[in-house]
Amino acid sequence: MQLTRESSSRPASPVPFSLFVVVTLVCAATRAASADDAGTTAAPTTPTERKAPKDTATKRASVEMATYGDSDHVGVVTPSVGMSIDNVITGASLRARYLVDVVSGASVDVVSTASRRWTEIRQAGSIEGEYKPRDFGIAVTGSASNEPDYLSYTVGARMTYDLDAKNTTLLLGYAYGHDTIGRHGTPFAVFARELSRATYAAGVTQVIDRATVIGVALDVVIENGDQSKPYRYIPMFAPAVAASAPLGASIDWVTAHRLPERPLEQLPLTRRRFAVTGRFAHRFDGSTVRLSERIYDDTWGLVASTTDMRWIFDVGRRFALWPHARFHVQSPVTFWERAYVSRNAGNGGWDLPEIRTGDRELGPLWTATGGAGVRMFVGADADPRAWAISLQGDVMYTSYQDDLYLTSRTAVLGAVMFEAEL
Amino acid sequence: MMRSFLFCSGLVALLALASACTHVAPYDRGKLAHPTMTDEYDGPASGHVHAVHEGATGGGALGESGCGCN
Repeated sequence: MQLTRESSSRPASPVPFSLFVVVTLVCAATRAASADDAGTTAAPTTPTERKAPKDTATKRASVEMATYGDSDHVGVVTPSVGMSIDNVITGASLRARYLVDVVSGASVDVVSTASRRWTEIRQAGSIEGEYKPRDFGIAVTGSASNEPDYLSYTVGARMTYDLDAKNTTLLLGYAYGHDTIGRHGTPFAVFARELSRATYAAGVTQVIDRATVIGVALDVVIENGDQSKPYRYIPMFAPAVAASAPLGASIDWVTAHRLPERPLEQLPLTRRRFAVTGRFAHRFDGSTVRLSERIYDDTWGLVASTTDMRWIFDVGRRFALWPHARFHVQSPVTFWERAYVSRNAGNGGWDLPEIRTGDRELGPLWTATGGAGVRMFVGADADPRAWAISLQGDVMYTSYQDDLYLTSRTAVLGAVMFEAEL
Repeated sequence: MMRSFLFCSGLVALLALASACTHVAPYDRGKLAHPTMTDEYDGPASGHVHAVHEGATGGGALGESGCGCN
C-alpha cells in the first residue's frame, strides 16, 4: 500500500483466489494432523471396534476489521482473516492470513499534481509452517501481495534452538523478497522496476527470572533495485527561492515559485538497513508490561529510534484492558532537501540533482502514538479465553520537521477482532 | 556521536539485564506462560500502518524467538 502515491487509478476487482488457497491449505493440514493422530492409534480389528482418533491439534481462527483515516485525506479499510493449527504434541504448526486493503486518497501529494482522488485494492496473503518437536525448530514462511501496479512476494526460513532448558532461545532467519513496481494502466512488460530484498535476522531471548523475559535481535536488510515511485514528481526551485521556501509551503506557493522542470523521484539503487531491537516483558500479579526499543540505521543516512509500550491489566477472568504508547523519531536521509535546486544547463536542459525525493517518510519527523484496547473473553466458564472479542484504537500525531505542503498529520486507526478456538 | 551513544546505551542495558539472569525451572514458569506475555496485540493493519509511517524497519522476528514459557 502506498498511502501517498500520486496517481489516479480505478479500483480493481478483488480476486478471492488467495483466500481459496489459504483455506484449502488449512483444511488439508487439518486432515493431515488427524491422519497423523490416527496413525499413532492401535489398528482396529473390526469396523465396529474402530474409535475416532483423538485430535490433539488446537485450531484457531480470527477475523479483523480495521479502519484508518488521517488529516491528509487518506482512508483505508482492511478486513482480514487468519487461521492457525498448532499441535503441541508433534511440535507442528501452520498459520495463514489473508487481508484486503481498500485505500482511497486525495492527499496533498495527489492534489499538488492535479490528480483526482484515487481508490485502490491490495490483497495480501501469508502462510507459515513450523516444526519444532524438541529443542530445535524450523519454520518456513511465504507471503505475497498484489496491487494493480505492484507485485511482491517473500519466502523465508527461520531456525530456533532452545538452550538451558528453554531459559535461552537462539534465532536465525533469512528471507528473500522480490517486488515488481509498475505504472497503473501500463503492462509490466512495458514498464516495470525490479527490487530485491534479502533479510537476515539473528536474535536471542533470555529468561531473567520467574516473571521476566528479555530479547534482542539484529536485522540486516539488503535492498537492490530502483524503488523510486513512478508517480512522484519533485518540484525544483532556483537557488534563491529554495533557500526561502517556508516550512509546509502551500500548493499555491510551490506552484507559483517552482521552475518549469519537474522530474520524477530518483532514489539510490541500493540500500543497506540495520536494526537492533530489544524486548522486555514482565508479568506482575495482575498485569503485564511489554516494552520494545528499536534502534535503526541505514546507508541512506536515516537514523531512527522507535519505542513501544503496552501495559495489559487483568479485569477479572473475562476482561483485559491496556493502554498503548509508541514514539518514533528519525533523522532525514543524507539527500533530503525541503526544496531541491536546479539550474538551466544552457543547452535546453536542466541541471538536476542526481538523487531527489519527495517521500516525507525519508525526512526528519517524529510520531507520537497513544491508544487503548480491551479484550473480552466470551468462552465457556471452563475456558473463557477460547473465544475473544478485541477492540482497540490508536491516535498518531506526526510532526514533519522540514517538508513542503505538510507540517503535521493526525491519524486514527481502529480495529475490532474476533478470535475463536475451534 | 548520536549513533555511538544509542548503541552503547543499548549494550549496557542488555549486559545489565543479562547479568541478572536466574535459572527458572519448567514447573516455575506460570507467569512466563501467561497469555498476556505472548499474545499478539497488534493486528496486521497496525503493523502495516507503522511500516508505512516510519522510515525504519526491523524487529519483527523477535516475537518468534521464544518466550521461555514451556
